[in-house]
Amino acid sequence: MDPAEVELLAETLRKTMTAASGPALDAALAELGWPELLAEYPEVAIPTVFRLLGETGAHAPLLNDVVLHAAGRPQGGAPELPYAGGRWVVWERGADGGPGGVLDDELPLRTVPTGNPVPLAAGRRALGWWLAGTGRAMLSLARTHVLDRVQFGRPLASFQAVRHRLAETLVALDGAEAALVAADDPFGSLLAKAAAGQAALTAARHCQQVLGGVGFTAEHSLNRHVRRALVLDGLLGSSRELTREAGARLRAEGSAPRLVQL
Amino acid sequence: MNAFTTVAEFRSALRTWLDDHDLSPGPDHSLDAQVAQLGRVRRELYDAGWMRYGWPAEVGGLAGPAVFRAVLGEEVATRGLAEPGIYSMVEVLTPTMISYARPELAAEMVPLLLGGREQWCQGFSEPGSGSDLASLTTRAVPHGDTWEISGQKVWTSLAQYATRCVLLTRTAPGHDGITAFFVDMDTPGITVRPLRTMHGVDEFAEVFFDDVVVPADRMLGRPGDGWRLAMDLLPHERSTCFWHRIAHLYTRLDRLLDETDERNETDDAALGAAYLALHTVRCRSHATQRRLAEGARLGPETSVDKVLLATAEQQLFDTVRDLLPGVLELTDTPWRSEYLYAKAATIYGGTAEIQRNIIARRLLDLGRE
Repeated sequence: MDPAEVELLAETLRKTMTAASGPALDAALAELGWPELLAEYPEVAIPTVFRLLGETGAHAPLLNDVVLHAAGRPQGGAPELPYAGGRWVVWERGADGGPGGVLDDELPLRTVPTGNPVPLAAGRRALGWWLAGTGRAMLSLARTHVLDRVQFGRPLASFQAVRHRLAETLVALDGAEAALVAADDPFGSLLAKAAAGQAALTAARHCQQVLGGVGFTAEHSLNRHVRRALVLDGLLGSSRELTREAGARLRAEGSAPRLVQL
Repeated sequence: MNAFTTVAEFRSALRTWLDDHDLSPGPDHSLDAQVAQLGRVRRELYDAGWMRYGWPAEVGGLAGPAVFRAVLGEEVATRGLAEPGIYSMVEVLTPTMISYARPELAAEMVPLLLGGREQWCQGFSEPGSGSDLASLTTRAVPHGDTWEISGQKVWTSLAQYATRCVLLTRTAPGHDGITAFFVDMDTPGITVRPLRTMHGVDEFAEVFFDDVVVPADRMLGRPGDGWRLAMDLLPHERSTCFWHRIAHLYTRLDRLLDETDERNETDDAALGAAYLALHTVRCRSHATQRRLAEGARLGPETSVDKVLLATAEQQLFDTVRDLLPGVLELTDTPWRSEYLYAKAATIYGGTAEIQRNIIARRLLDLGRE
């Protein structure tokens, strides 16, 4: 696909994700040809679709398809997925989330006692892009707020302490996206998911702070993105667990792999 | 020598050559020895052609893409042949000469630098002008065919070894009143005084200019081009130089892995975090190299590379101190000087705060402070 086609695709996807979420979005994306896109152009499908899920705040059980596709199994099911802390979850298809279960109660995640191993690399890249998109959404909310909100007779955006928090957020997100772009093997995907999880949590911390009181209310949408980042970070391994795993691999190998080459 | 069509070909031929030609430094780690070693490495690499790839023929180069220079620097750093900070100075000095010196001057001088015959320095910072570089006050006053320069520079790397200096001076008020010169360091009136620094290497110097007479044809660009020259340096500093430095930091992480207990899993989180930061900046720098190769004009987005690199460097050496308790405090080890030097990573080349100001203003479009 050439850049213009990808751009057009992204535009269509953004509209669809803005109009629908959950099972309705799942159905709409199936109609748009998501399964074929994933099968034929995974290197375009995964970054484009998952980053947009993050940016728009929509959700759909597409991670299942990515994992099943990587496992060579038929799409449409819902395999058990490893979660942080040795837990397992299933991302229900055709269901809405609900109160009382998951921190992000929009997501239809259900914990299960155990599960079978699944291939992780493609799913980790997908979640990494989702986390990066969620981080971008938080940064955008925070940016708008600090430009609009006036205190001491000046916009918050004119205070260096505020500017530097948002600059740090952008640095973390840009770094994570570079790692995602470069991820073309399992270890690179592990690192990219770790970087993206960390970046989304960094974005959550800084954006929450500069949004002040309003960012703490339920009516402002920041909290939805914060919840999503926390829940997605744990899926297929948290940034903390993956970072430790990377360290263990270095220790075992006795040297630091140079994954990207000129 | 063959012309290379791909990076892989170039790298492979270079590695073969380096395997056959041992350029390893000797046991002396003094700055004198490091600078002598740097000259030796450049000379050998230039004479064999390697140092000439990626530079235009007009200045003695053998052409080819700039990425060849990144590959060469990565090999030099990975093999520990020369200290990467001073090795990479050619990456900012040479493009400056190509863009701003008279063509004959660039053609005459650049081979002396690339070929290891001379060291050069960069006279930018002043005692009163650090982050606020544009406030510099070293004055240049015209006298017929010459200019007379008076003032003081500081943090001038390798000034005591340098034959030439790319010098920023004030010729009029404001950003448009900064003018650059290419000055011979043996000109009467120049005094160099090396600075003692906390990491124990006298790499930086103060340079005093007392009525130093410089021919007008040594001006770089035109009067008032100095600020643009300084800004044009940054993309070079933050692409190829960074790639070299990242390669160097990987060697230090390897060394740390050698020295830590391979059975002790309590260090995994810290090792993983240091590696992740390094991997992240390598990926970012890789993307920057790719954009450069595609002909993109690098700009304020390289401040992101700069913050990622400085953060990764400090995290790595903090991890070294944590994982090798007592080593750099109580023993005579190269780690001590390198640990201390890492503290400068968020200061030199534009402080971390200046980078964040640039990111906020130019990339996030947050308006004025």
